[in-house]
Amino acid sequence: MPIEVNSVEINPDQDFENLPSVAEKFANKPKIAKKSLIVFVSIFGIFLLSLLALVIFLSFNQKNVNPPAENKPTPTPTMEIKEEITTPSLYATDAAILKTEEEIKNLDQELQNADLKETNLNPPNLDWQIEFEK
Amino acid sequence: MKKFCPSKIIVVFFLLFSFFLLPQKSYSEEKTFDANQAYQDFLYNYNLYRQSYSEYMIAKESYLKYQTLTSKNEALQKTSQMLKNQDEVVKTYLTALRLKLMEASGNAGYEQNTLYTKIDNEITWYKNHQENLNSAGTIEDLIALASKGGNEYKETEILIYQTLGAILNGKENVFYGKINQNIKTLKEKIGEIRTKGDKNTSLSERWLLEAENRLTRSQEKQLFAQNLLTQIKTNDSNKLKSYNEAQFTIQESHQYLKEANSYLKEVIKELKSAD
Repeated sequence: MPIEVNSVEINPDQDFENLPSVAEKFANKPKIAKKSLIVFVSIFGIFLLSLLALVIFLSFNQKNVNPPAENKPTPTPTMEIKEEITTPSLYATDAAILKTEEEIKNLDQELQNADLKETNLNPPNLDWQIEFEK
Repeated sequence: MKKFCPSKIIVVFFLLFSFFLLPQKSYSEEKTFDANQAYQDFLYNYNLYRQSYSEYMIAKESYLKYQTLTSKNEALQKTSQMLKNQDEVVKTYLTALRLKLMEASGNAGYEQNTLYTKIDNEITWYKNHQENLNSAGTIEDLIALASKGGNEYKETEILIYQTLGAILNGKENVFYGKINQNIKTLKEKIGEIRTKGDKNTSLSERWLLEAENRLTRSQEKQLFAQNLLTQIKTNDSNKLKSYNEAQFTIQESHQYLKEANSYLKEVIKELKSAD
């Protein structure tokens, strides 16, 4: 018959010398804890695979976000006088003319910024004269 | 029944997590080998060469001063390393030039292919030269090999300047092509307007003619620059001077292209303005 000591039940017939081992204790854990772990592991695995797929997808689409810095000479600022067309002709809004105008403007910019020296490609300074005389 | 150990499973998952994610970072950073990377490669090797050149000079001075066997072996080793690094500098520089030439489209296919073949042959030559340095056993062998390298480099220099000229010309050819295309487009448009008869096109046609003239003068300058580069000889004492002249001529060609493009702007302005 159990005895109550400080509201803890002690069974006087209990064998205190042969206590169950930790492994036995764990083996007797309820099945619910094991099931929770399996669920957690499955969710974690799915998360890991999704992350991997995302990384692979992003790496294929990755563009060069850090383009190499180019040594370009600072363009000389020029004052551009914008001459406005006071009386437009029939062709002022012609699509082909406007398209060509845009191309010419872009080309103008490219021509201004072109590097025609490529000084970074100058040949290296090398010494082929080997001598061992004083 | 197998014992269920959750801690082991968690450790395994973390290991898998690290295995898959960390290498992905380096994979995503992997880029194709382009002109910029080749140029960085060349700079790296040039730096190594300069360091090994300093070491060679120190070892050489030490050998000339002490004349011991140890100092001789040290001088031999440092000289050999310096010469190998020198060959590597030339190889990586030529590779960078080759890739830069590929990027600068606008050259005729056969001209570009000829330069590629010559560059590839030169790179092979310096690779063989490096291998020969491994079998050099004496300082005299190294001196002979260095002399061979120096003689070959006189030819390599010509190729270098011709390739640099081709890179600049390639850029000019791209601009030339674009301006020429715009001229054709405007010519067709002016032809249509002239047929319709609802606008005077004489001024536009004069501007267009000026643009074409500038384009022709630009091409003449480019051809002149190319000729300057083909005339560089092996024993020219100042090949750089010839290259600088060619470069200056290309800049003059570029000025003509700018003028041609500005005349096209006048054509557009004229077409958009009423008579």
